[in-house]
Amino acid sequence: MTDTRKRLNSKEFADTVAEEMIVSRSFWADARRRFLSHRLAVFSVFMLLALLLFALFGQYFARWSFEEIDWNVLGRIKTEGAPSLENGHWFGVDDLGRDLYARVVQGTRTSLMVGFVAGPLAVLLGATLGALAGYFGGRLDQIITGFYTIWISIPYIIFFVVWQAFFGRSLTQMIIVIIIVNWTAGLLIVRGQVMMLKHREFVDAARMLGMSDLAIIFKHLAPNILWVIVIYTSIVIPEVIMAESLVSFLGVGIQEPNTSWGALISEGARTMTFGTLWQLAFPAAFFVIAQVSLYYIGDGLRDALDPKDRR
Amino acid sequence: MFNYTLRRLLTVIPTLLVLIVFSFYLMRLAPGGPFTSEKPLPPAVMQNVLERYGMDQPLYVQLWTYIKNIVFHFDFGPSFAQKDRTVNDVIVQGFPVTLTYGFWSAVFVLVLGIPLGIIAALRHNSVWDYTMTGLAIFSQIFPNFVLAPILVLLFTLSWGLLPGGGWNGGQWEYIVMPAIALGTSYMAGVARLTRGSMLEVLNAPFILTARAKGLPERVIIWRHALKPALLPTLTYMGPVFVYMITGSVFIDVFFSTGGIGQDFIDGAYSRDYSMLLGLAILYSLLTFTLNLMLDLMYAWIDPKVRSSL
Repeated sequence: MTDTRKRLNSKEFADTVAEEMIVSRSFWADARRRFLSHRLAVFSVFMLLALLLFALFGQYFARWSFEEIDWNVLGRIKTEGAPSLENGHWFGVDDLGRDLYARVVQGTRTSLMVGFVAGPLAVLLGATLGALAGYFGGRLDQIITGFYTIWISIPYIIFFVVWQAFFGRSLTQMIIVIIIVNWTAGLLIVRGQVMMLKHREFVDAARMLGMSDLAIIFKHLAPNILWVIVIYTSIVIPEVIMAESLVSFLGVGIQEPNTSWGALISEGARTMTFGTLWQLAFPAAFFVIAQVSLYYIGDGLRDALDPKDRR
Repeated sequence: MFNYTLRRLLTVIPTLLVLIVFSFYLMRLAPGGPFTSEKPLPPAVMQNVLERYGMDQPLYVQLWTYIKNIVFHFDFGPSFAQKDRTVNDVIVQGFPVTLTYGFWSAVFVLVLGIPLGIIAALRHNSVWDYTMTGLAIFSQIFPNFVLAPILVLLFTLSWGLLPGGGWNGGQWEYIVMPAIALGTSYMAGVARLTRGSMLEVLNAPFILTARAKGLPERVIIWRHALKPALLPTLTYMGPVFVYMITGSVFIDVFFSTGGIGQDFIDGAYSRDYSMLLGLAILYSLLTFTLNLMLDLMYAWIDPKVRSSL
């Protein structure tokens, strides 16, 4: 008993407590601590960073560019096109005799770009519409949720293929169509949050100060639903990458000479009957690593941010 | 119940109309068309071609004819790119194929997913549970387009057990891999969801009551826990069907089953707008039908939902 009291009165304890209070005062600091204690998630962040670095600087380690055809191995790809350190094809060559390493760098860049540009933008669009629906309610709410219900019951591939057939298949079109397809992401949950928060005192206070509705939504409500948006973005990014890869696999996505993980996997799958397995293995491995990392980062974010999941 | 079904059917019509009108105008306004080639056709020939497909008339007339033909004759018109086939031909040939392996895939998802989830929940935190959860995460990360090549690699190229594609009139060997490749990740999703809801139900007070009455575990699970535990799984099946239709396009292309997915993608390549539009309408109809069936089943199982209809 006296020991405990002594410890509680000691200077170290006071310091620790003070430090603890400073460190863990805000919601986001709390969240950061929780996220950092999720080891797999932290490891996944490093994996993802490695992928990003690979996409940005990988080309400087390639001995071949992605458009050069190695005439020495063309026609003998099965026997001489395998990954090798001697001729500089770290990942082997693809079906046309191009360096697969350079192709994978190029594909990683495209896939990550689509995921990290289109994913967040789609969530932002959905969240904005959800916030408007939740805040204003009434007719606007009915229209938006009505569209939502119809939209989620249409297989996205239909829209994707039809759109790409009409407007061509550039990277920009790909990003635009992905945003359109995924505009529903996060809509319902943001709407729910806004409906809950809009009756709180701080919103009343802001209204009494004469703030406009839009200012209230973006200045006062947005920070309070930011955590939902972050979680949703982490879910949507891998989904977007997967959708992009699927349509590229089908040949209606990213077009030659550009490439993406899905397009590379598709090439690899087509040639695997000839025994050139590395053409499938390397792109598939990159794709899977990205998906696993993103999955665990999402998991970590949920644990860190969602009040229901808090351990 | 009847009113509800009717109301749902009535919302389908405007949705489809919007879809048709939107895509119709989109494809006629888009640059290029099915008949633009590198060497332009002589004007007279072009005129004949346009007349043949009724494209010389004003857009709204074309639209009206198109909708009229679908509604009264179930006729989606000729294909723009495949000279000797109509869209109906393609549907008659391909749709049964897609439906067949789709059906077996759904069977695979439910018959394997639900028991796996229940077992994992009953043996909570055991090796079974961990294996199942691990497997679920694993197969969500391996989407069908990564899984299918791996399956072909193992079962066709390495062991020579199953054919790597084709349809052959729908013999079972040709159905196995498409069904598994299409269903695996949703099977895992169903298992994970069933596990979660089963765990929740098993902790509910009415299960405690059943235990206190001294009912055998078997009766508790089959008669009391199963039905409420399956409800979330059932709601999950709606989106799953939508995703499986998307997946079927891939399966048709990868396994060359001869299903409609292949023609859909080919239609995108050759700007075969009538084919694209016809198949898009068919896919949407399929989704609406499946979702409606699911909702009715939901109402049939859950008394709370039934009374609110």
